[in-house]
Amino acid sequence: MDEINTSVSRRRFLQATGVTGAAAATAVMGVPGTGLEATSAEAQTARAQPNTVVTKNICHQCPARCGIDVYTTDGRVHAIYGTADHPISNGKLCPKGPLGVYILYDPDRWRGPMKRTNPAKGRNEDPGFVPISWDEALDTVAARLNALREAGESHRFALLYGRGWGASCAGLQGTFGKLYGSPNVAIGHSSMCSDGSIISKKMLDGNAGYNAYDYAHTNYILMFGVGFLEAFRPYNNNMQVWGHIRGRKSPKTRVTAVDVHVNTTLAASDRGLLIRPGTDGALALAIAHVILTEGLWEKSFVGDFRDGRNRFVAGQSVSPALFEEKWTQGLVEWWNVELKDRTVDWAAGITDIPADRILATAREFGSTRPAMAIYERGAHAHSNGIYNGMAIHSLNALVGSMYAVGGLMNQMGPSYGAMPADENEYMDDWAQNGAWKDMPRIDRKGSADGYLMANNMMQEVGPNHLAGNPYKLDTMMFYLTNPIWTAPNGQVWEEALKDVFIIDTSPFPSETGHYADLILPDHTYLERLQDAPTYPFQGFPMTQLRVPAVEPLHDTKYYGDVLIEIGKRMNGPMGEYYRALGDTENVLRHLAEGFRADPGDNGVTDFESWKEKGVWYKKPYIYRQVNGTFYRWDGRDYTIEMTEEEVQANLLKTPSGRFEFRSSQMEANAAWIAERTGRDPARLMFPIWEEPQHPGGGDLFLVTPKVALHAEGRGHNIPMVIAHLQPTVGGRGEAFCEINPATAEARGIGDGDMVRISSDAGEVTARARVYAGVRPDTIVLPMEYGHWAAGRWSKAVPTQHSGECTINQSDRVTGQCNYYTTKVNVTKA
Amino acid sequence: MPKWGMVIDLETCTGCQACTTACAMENNRLPGENWQDVLFYSEGSYPNMKLSWLPRPCMQCENPSCVSVCPTRATYQTEDGVVLVDWNKCIGCKYCMVACPYGVRFYMDEKPVVEPDIRAAFPGEGQRSWNPPFRMPDEYEDPSKGIGIQPKGVVSKCTFCYHKVSQAPEGVADLDEANPETREFTPACVRVCAPKARFFGDLDNPESKVNELIAEKGGVRLKEETGNKPKVYYLSGGGAPVVPGKRSTRS
Repeated sequence: MDEINTSVSRRRFLQATGVTGAAAATAVMGVPGTGLEATSAEAQTARAQPNTVVTKNICHQCPARCGIDVYTTDGRVHAIYGTADHPISNGKLCPKGPLGVYILYDPDRWRGPMKRTNPAKGRNEDPGFVPISWDEALDTVAARLNALREAGESHRFALLYGRGWGASCAGLQGTFGKLYGSPNVAIGHSSMCSDGSIISKKMLDGNAGYNAYDYAHTNYILMFGVGFLEAFRPYNNNMQVWGHIRGRKSPKTRVTAVDVHVNTTLAASDRGLLIRPGTDGALALAIAHVILTEGLWEKSFVGDFRDGRNRFVAGQSVSPALFEEKWTQGLVEWWNVELKDRTVDWAAGITDIPADRILATAREFGSTRPAMAIYERGAHAHSNGIYNGMAIHSLNALVGSMYAVGGLMNQMGPSYGAMPADENEYMDDWAQNGAWKDMPRIDRKGSADGYLMANNMMQEVGPNHLAGNPYKLDTMMFYLTNPIWTAPNGQVWEEALKDVFIIDTSPFPSETGHYADLILPDHTYLERLQDAPTYPFQGFPMTQLRVPAVEPLHDTKYYGDVLIEIGKRMNGPMGEYYRALGDTENVLRHLAEGFRADPGDNGVTDFESWKEKGVWYKKPYIYRQVNGTFYRWDGRDYTIEMTEEEVQANLLKTPSGRFEFRSSQMEANAAWIAERTGRDPARLMFPIWEEPQHPGGGDLFLVTPKVALHAEGRGHNIPMVIAHLQPTVGGRGEAFCEINPATAEARGIGDGDMVRISSDAGEVTARARVYAGVRPDTIVLPMEYGHWAAGRWSKAVPTQHSGECTINQSDRVTGQCNYYTTKVNVTKA
Repeated sequence: MPKWGMVIDLETCTGCQACTTACAMENNRLPGENWQDVLFYSEGSYPNMKLSWLPRPCMQCENPSCVSVCPTRATYQTEDGVVLVDWNKCIGCKYCMVACPYGVRFYMDEKPVVEPDIRAAFPGEGQRSWNPPFRMPDEYEDPSKGIGIQPKGVVSKCTFCYHKVSQAPEGVADLDEANPETREFTPACVRVCAPKARFFGDLDNPESKVNELIAEKGGVRLKEETGNKPKVYYLSGGGAPVVPGKRSTRS
């Protein structure tokens, strides 16, 4: 016990140390309200107060971008809380937020740049990494890229990225590709994320983006496969909203949640509907059917029968001439080709949800205003995802919630200033007219023989490279993505990436990093100066800033600066461009110049005040639809009525300027869609029902959700996460495979038994948790563990990786990777 | 002198465990040894299965059985009613763990909840069981109150973040994270709670928000029959008809 007492007597008044580089954004913590500021002699006599410095940062553990206050004392970062005056976090955090200290101090972090010494690559090959200097590392990359370019093969350099944050990191990549000359710089991960919602919305309302939502004012939320209280962004703010709409708001917002197992979202909702995987579109179509037959649609937005008499009767066609549409297009045609037969009883057979519950949901949703229907991967990560998404999003138009109070919006961008240099002035001949411009992308995004309408197809890069079709890559660089592990059927990537030069920039070891020839480690987020415009949130523009809490612990370099430093080493005008950029801080200072003319609501007018507050934002969202009329904000209220042309230019960006139940964009690609999918050219442009294709060869659906504690890219190696990952079924220390009692019994599987999960892609084992909350035809195994080269803690978790038995199948229209659609066999191991 | 108490609203609690992780960060808890845990329960059969959860801090009893059984008087109550452990006096006999009706006292076991043992990654010297680089400021550590890195061989428990609440301005009714004057003195689990399902204040102050909520929404305490008189109240939707607690007097 002496040690303890000694430690007490050793208390002393420590000065802040090791927290340089953040001076402008810091505030010394006192004891507000007492008059006893920590620095006063009086306070120190009363009780020694730590000399704590608070810096502003943005959480890195999911896309939500919560503003955080980082507490540093004596050079130690010891606490993280939400920033009180940040519109997303509002002083709050989700369970991941406080765990940032584990990421900063992860003992498995890379210490500095390294090169590989073992040319052989594979899961069981030791890379033989040896430390090198940053100069050697950057010179090696530049020499390689210069040589490739001079050989006329610049298209063989690909840069793949995951969570791009802002203009000072991922925002630099497109320019790099343009100046260097590669269609593969950069390839985003959006098809392995949630392009299924982005593109299904684009087909209907013309906006290729996630929606912003006015949850606080809605009276009904209908959720399809979103994990609202686990994973739907911004999770922290969702929970704040939940406390409001479910506890304090009058009237209390009613919630129906659709999923394949009982999670916290379903448990906390008024109604949980356990749906057969991939059939969410059928449920949405039946709800639309009821809304029409019972006359519940929002007539001020959709329009009405000219004589006011409702002719939507199940099974009966309607003459389009009888109906006058207002802000939509193709309602009656949709009814005639699809909806008239999509009765509640029909949907009950498809979805396995009792008809009376579908009817009750439809009537509630159709008769409560404002209401919104939201969806993500649970609904659209299937071969029919485009139609599931279109059917669900159409409900938002039917009840008039597009741009309405309590409805959906789009996200506005921040008022950034100009970059330090204009890349168009630094384009040489190769950049402007090189042969690379005729090369397809390695992932065949935008190609007729690939995914013509997709945004990205990262999941195809590994397989395409392996096949050498359309060509072989020479060099691949990775930023915040680890596709050897995260791609479906990653075993293919393990083989594919053996013969390509790999540069990884993660601060941490990973499976992709295990194959790297060069490691150029980034700072962790608490060490970075980095911008991050908001993901779609509440529509109004916002951009945040990460300010370093401490000097980098190791010999690491911010990824944005790595790109710039490589750029400076490139021959010709490209190198000049990057010398003109200088570094990322210079970029950020130029961006912040835009705030002078457009100050934030919180007084942010320049770079220094941005660092101090951590966020620039400007409320409100400037558009609003009220009873079928669109208005623009006049500075005090929504009074400026918008013309149809203005609505089309700013909001409903379709060829018709309306919400298109009959999608012009689908129709424009009808020949290609019909050829590649066999769909009926006369119907494929409407939200229709189509049976999903479930590959894999098994008899049980494998659903692999992300859970609340899934800290992007690193949760698996955080012991605090491992201790709490899957609380609903007691998943502490490992992840369990949820299996229905009847399903388990039929296979002789008992609670706690190890089970073998197999598909045509591969086989993994996991521990079974017999759980009455999961569908009998489905098993649920969180995607989290099974890492084999990413750190000491994740390697020790016995659960294996769901991806190894997930088939690489994608929605041909959206390109969405069908993560939740494989069928597997499950036996006792 | 305030009598600190907590209210947890189960109607808005989302079961996210942020209270658990924020507590662990603020108080340097080992992974999985949660002063503030969230317990999950399920009952019923498919398709009508009920999933529920209960956040569980130390109940900070007015009549704590852990204090009465402690042979060395290591466990004690402060003037403001917080039950603490003096690590300098604790001999690790675990009587208090047996006596506690709520299972909220912790002895640091040799075997970690999560392997490999994080204590090996960040080893401590002497009695200091580990020494994480993110440990709390030296000025907060106080073994006589059970605050700081838990030493080997002693029992620990939730302190209501005593290093924070004990510094609060005198006379305040509530420690509310939304109030800049009291934010830094609010317990970590309350401060972090996104749906604002937690409230912390003075049970002796009739004007406090915690008393308002207990009255308005029918706050109840767990295991009233033990006579421990917890100072943590639970709300589950409000309204008058609730299971009566010992705080109630029969009309």
